[in-house]
Amino acid sequence: MSLEDLFQRPQFSLPQLQKEALLLSELKQLDRLHRERCEEYFRLSSIMFHGVENFGALSDLPFLPVGLFKTHSLASVPKEDVFRVLMSSGTTGQVPSKIVLDRETAQLQTLALSRIMTHVLGPQRLPMILVEQPDLIKDRTSFGARAAGLIGMMNFGREHFFALDSDLNLRLPELQDFLARHGNRPFLIFGFTFLIWSRFYEQLRETVIDLSHGILVHGGGWKKLQDQAVSATDFRRMLEESTGLKKIYNFYGMVEQVGSIFLEGEDGYLYPPNFADVIIRDPNTLDELPPGEIGAIQVVSALPRSYPGHSLLTEDLGVIHAIDSSSCGRFGKAFSVMGRIPRAELRGCSDVIAAQVN
Amino acid sequence: MDVELLFPNKGATDLETVLKTVASCSTARPFDESMLAACADLSRRIMQDAEARRYPALMALAFWIRKAELIRLHEEFANLDRPDRILVPSGTVFHLPPRNVDTMFVYSWLLSALVGNKSIIRLSPQRSDSTNLLLRLFRDALAAAEEPARNSTVIVSYGHESAITFALTAYSDLRVIWGGDNTINEVRRASLPSHGREVIFPDRYSMAAVNINSYLALSPEERDRLADLFFNDVFWFDQLACSSPQLVAWCGEGTQARIASSDFFTRVCACARRRHYLTSAANSMQKLTFAASAILDMCVESWQRFPELTILSLATLSDFNRSHPGGGFVFEVAVNSLAGLVPSLVRKDQTLTTFGFDDTELISLVRQLNGKAIDRIVPIGQALQFGRFWDGYDLLRAFCREVYVNNSPIKTMA
Repeated sequence: MSLEDLFQRPQFSLPQLQKEALLLSELKQLDRLHRERCEEYFRLSSIMFHGVENFGALSDLPFLPVGLFKTHSLASVPKEDVFRVLMSSGTTGQVPSKIVLDRETAQLQTLALSRIMTHVLGPQRLPMILVEQPDLIKDRTSFGARAAGLIGMMNFGREHFFALDSDLNLRLPELQDFLARHGNRPFLIFGFTFLIWSRFYEQLRETVIDLSHGILVHGGGWKKLQDQAVSATDFRRMLEESTGLKKIYNFYGMVEQVGSIFLEGEDGYLYPPNFADVIIRDPNTLDELPPGEIGAIQVVSALPRSYPGHSLLTEDLGVIHAIDSSSCGRFGKAFSVMGRIPRAELRGCSDVIAAQVN
Repeated sequence: MDVELLFPNKGATDLETVLKTVASCSTARPFDESMLAACADLSRRIMQDAEARRYPALMALAFWIRKAELIRLHEEFANLDRPDRILVPSGTVFHLPPRNVDTMFVYSWLLSALVGNKSIIRLSPQRSDSTNLLLRLFRDALAAAEEPARNSTVIVSYGHESAITFALTAYSDLRVIWGGDNTINEVRRASLPSHGREVIFPDRYSMAAVNINSYLALSPEERDRLADLFFNDVFWFDQLACSSPQLVAWCGEGTQARIASSDFFTRVCACARRRHYLTSAANSMQKLTFAASAILDMCVESWQRFPELTILSLATLSDFNRSHPGGGFVFEVAVNSLAGLVPSLVRKDQTLTTFGFDDTELISLVRQLNGKAIDRIVPIGQALQFGRFWDGYDLLRAFCREVYVNNSPIKTMA
């Protein structure tokens, strides 16, 4: 019942205490469900968390390191119920995460995303520009993270227009046609942050173009932009200056918890939806950290049923800025993400020459 | 081709010049006075350098090559000579030391140079501050040395160019490769002259064994002291040195193992805190992911997690795969006796650091293993202490050729 409650109430409207109480009872059930149905989760919660079941707070809940999904396929449903397998895109050479979905979880993800998106988009489906290449979604059984995100978002638009060709070049004349038809009423633009910047903005900055009725939703991480020294503020300002685009929403999410994304408010901070939350932990002690302190981000979500991904410790750094006191009317935790925990090299007798040759 | 010459001259150069420089070097008699003096001088320079004092590994090196130790090594070497067996240098020795144990190039060079070889040392272009510091002191000491020590060694630095490894290998009588396995396989593509030999140090695994009764008989102070020694073994090179223990075997009565373990690791962590050892956030997360993964893949019964150290208790070593993340992560297992380890040990296992066993137990273990595992057994606290006996070699002998001389007259048939 309470998941429905969390879905039905307006998103971002629950004060933290009230939300935690609702979410906790939901997550306790999920914890029990995964213990019963996933042998690996049972083993890990028994050994790493000593089998504790009576949690007083969200932060008492067992959590799995997100990297575990790269080495192990964890499922809480029998093979025949697997409806779709999601893979993280990961950079070259990295092992991807594998996430198994059954129909129920996939539906919950869709519903959840819709609850979040209608909050900023309104109930109507808007004409939609996808800053992507159409080839990305050809195979419909096994998805990379980018494709999964794209398909999830396509539900919120109509008259989809793929703004990039298969070489990731901007299809400018077609874009101008789209804008001639839809450009003076609200329309949706969706894409991955880096593509928006390098393939959309970079090619549009010398063109006179009006995106002032657009609503941009983008995510996927800042790492590549940070390498080019583009901050979130630069990103917003420069897009607005050259295209008139004002409504810009970044989101933080991951393939291991599709559907429960953390969407930027008008104040530039990220906010958890009703059915998810974040906890910041000290990476060494794993203790929960208070607002203002930077640590590893744990994400909890009431959605994952087909795999034990309801409570995950990520390898991202973040900080909570405020709770229940935002300037844009949102309740709950206002936080931001600092990117990946920086890798530090350990010493030892390593493979010197081999590492250089490869 | 880009080669940087680091000694005797310094600067960018080409392969031809490197080979000419090597050709102009000469071998020396084993334990030549000039070489002994140069090593003792290097030891002094390290000990007197204010910056070097910040690096315990450099201090350990300086201590190991101090004059008294060199004299002892000389005596040991002299004892190897027999009337019918004379040890002579191998000739030109090509050293490929590991990048991340800063001091290793000096240890590798030292034993080979002392017995009179010419040395070529290859260093990576990416060098830590302490390697560069050591390199500077090394250059100063050798430049100030007498002949023939002064003219015995060439140090080069290059990166990707396997052609240089090929050329230098073709020139070598003996090649010394410090692993891992991938490096060894890569370097082995370069063939040695047909008479050339190889000393290799592949990826290894190391562990500690503690006699539970002996441990529980210690006073709190003695336990702290042992924990301190263990800390050095584990944390000095972030637990990535091949001789750092990754597994602790508690030998004795099962029920006591838990008591000893919990007492011991609490003390080890207290020591880590006292010494302000803190691993990086990334390593801490890596250890967590590794632990979760290991719990699913092996017979892990329980875990203890401290900020500095994670301990996974294994029910048995039967499916133990010896992977490890480093940076303060140990497995532990309880066995009835030291001999209980025999079935589980493998060729990859190198150093066994021990506490609380008598000589006969250790020797009996080696006899039972009969060559299938373990190259070195030393007390806890000495895991990282380099010596002439390493990875199954007596390096003093491995760096030499042994000439057999028999001058007894042929007995005529009566």
